[in-house]
Amino acid sequence: MGRAQAWTAEMKIFVTGIGWVGAAGMGTGRGSAPFALPPGELPPISRRDVFPDPDSRFGRLDAFSRLALAGVALALRDAGIEQWTLPRATAIAAATTYGCTGTDLDYLATLGDAPGLASPQLFAYTLPNVFLGEAAIRFGLTGPTLIVSDEEGTGAAALETALDYIAGGGDTALAGICDLARPAKLPKRPESPPGALFLVLERRPTLEPLGALSARGKRHGNPDDTHDLRALAGRLCTGNRTDPPASHTRKGTA
Amino acid sequence: MSRVWVVGTASVTAFGDSPDVLWGELLAGKTGIRPLSRFSTEGYKTSLAACVPGLNSTGPGSLVNVLLDRLCKHLPPLPPDTLLIASTTKGGVDCLERVARGLPAAPDEIPLPALGAALRRRLGLTTPGFTVSAACASGSIALGRGAQIIASGAATSVLVVAFDAVSEFIFSGFSALQALSRDACMPFDRGRSGLTLGEGAAAILLASPELARCEGREPVGELIGWAASNDAVHITAPARDSRGLIQAIGAALAHAGIGPGDVGAVSAHGTGTIYNDLMELNAFRTIFGERPVPVYGVKGALGHTLGAAGAIETVIALRALSEGVVPGTVGFRDPDPAAVGLVHSEPTPLRGRRLLLTNSGFGGVNAALVLGGRPHGPRASVDG
Repeated sequence: MGRAQAWTAEMKIFVTGIGWVGAAGMGTGRGSAPFALPPGELPPISRRDVFPDPDSRFGRLDAFSRLALAGVALALRDAGIEQWTLPRATAIAAATTYGCTGTDLDYLATLGDAPGLASPQLFAYTLPNVFLGEAAIRFGLTGPTLIVSDEEGTGAAALETALDYIAGGGDTALAGICDLARPAKLPKRPESPPGALFLVLERRPTLEPLGALSARGKRHGNPDDTHDLRALAGRLCTGNRTDPPASHTRKGTA
Repeated sequence: MSRVWVVGTASVTAFGDSPDVLWGELLAGKTGIRPLSRFSTEGYKTSLAACVPGLNSTGPGSLVNVLLDRLCKHLPPLPPDTLLIASTTKGGVDCLERVARGLPAAPDEIPLPALGAALRRRLGLTTPGFTVSAACASGSIALGRGAQIIASGAATSVLVVAFDAVSEFIFSGFSALQALSRDACMPFDRGRSGLTLGEGAAAILLASPELARCEGREPVGELIGWAASNDAVHITAPARDSRGLIQAIGAALAHAGIGPGDVGAVSAHGTGTIYNDLMELNAFRTIFGERPVPVYGVKGALGHTLGAAGAIETVIALRALSEGVVPGTVGFRDPDPAAVGLVHSEPTPLRGRRLLLTNSGFGGVNAALVLGGRPHGPRASVDG
């Protein structure tokens, strides 16, 4: 969703943070571990894996929200903007294929033979965008938050949405992709491995950027890998690069 | 930035498939809320919903497919390279219900982008599309996203198709949350006690003025401003101080280049829940002050159509701009004190050339659109 300013055709938008959670573990763009979202079973995610301090909400979240919130937290931390004092109009656009289908099935199980006893707590997490609300509360993000799922599961539409938000006047946006493993009750189909991946995009980076993109997205001069968030992360993460950025320290103090 | 014209609309609601019938019933203060027969409502807080007449499942596939079949019959011809944006909250969740119960089902229709992808193929569109899901603001946020894509020049035509069907999954959930009204919902009424679910679908074809002129398409209206926000307060309850909705409205008005004084009416979310309606009225009072801008909501007539709501309400708002009058709010009889002077039970003349439309939903989302009527005169021939 746009804001008040006009588009700036040649504007550069910086990728300043990357966070991921996959079958092989967690990582960040500036970390030494190479980015990878391999096939396999996702490990359980506890609060201690993500937040050093107690967080009363994290343990109550459904598995989909925990996975996604972990990805968002790691990306914001990598960009140096996890901490906040005042709300900020940061947007989040995320792609998902199965979303909270596992939670949906858990909810349906509570319907059982006594429909009047369905779980309101579980129902609250049966919308795929609810984790975005959790992220907004946890990190003070008051910009647009939406699920934008492309047919191929690449996250390209989410990335374009985030780029357009900044091109339209926003300062910061996250683009991501998040999926748990396919629920066992659903048929097998070609699909991407489970995991969460989020990229922080900024107009004015706090840290030295990991990379830069054109404001107009894949149609306007960006590298081919911007049609797939995983490929883009693979190119930009320090652990994958043979030519890491000169500095990953705070901008201006390197 | 290119301007964004609306060059075609279609809708299927509890009042059927005809836009004239929909408009006529709304003006007449009728309601499509009826006793629900699709599944047993025993044990739930109500037995009422606003279902589409004659909408019945014909096999293991999602009921949404039947709904979209009906909608597609009323679509205008689509320009080549049209981008399809689908909008839904739960898509084919009725298939998931059947999977969970061991009944014949079409599980391929369960993934979130599946129904939109199938619709794209059915329409013969080759440009890859995507699905927007943002709770009850899905439809209006999808429209904002579509408008943004045209304004940026990345596409010249975008078809937004928003849909959701009444399922036991959704019905039971809102009942469990104690969010359903026992009787038909009463938006902005002092005695309101919750929402009534509805179902429907709407399609809105957006185009750049250049394409519309090139193809000889007459605009029916214009999308002038759009914005969205998050309350960042609670995942199911609205912010008591209306902060997110005020932020979204302010940004949408700024985007449109207009002030509150230019708004001639407001199409509110108006669910009929105590806290949503109070939050909205507080936002409108904050934005418009003492100016009595007509505020109306259609959920007392059509129920809450969830992911389709913003698009259905946009279809109605464009008609209101064309006719110069907004419908009365069905179910509104005894005004909430905060609604006095704003909300009316009878049709009310528009008091300006722009209409503000808002939606809010779970996850803290808010969306605001600024709509204009049919472009005419010098504005219609000047890009701006």
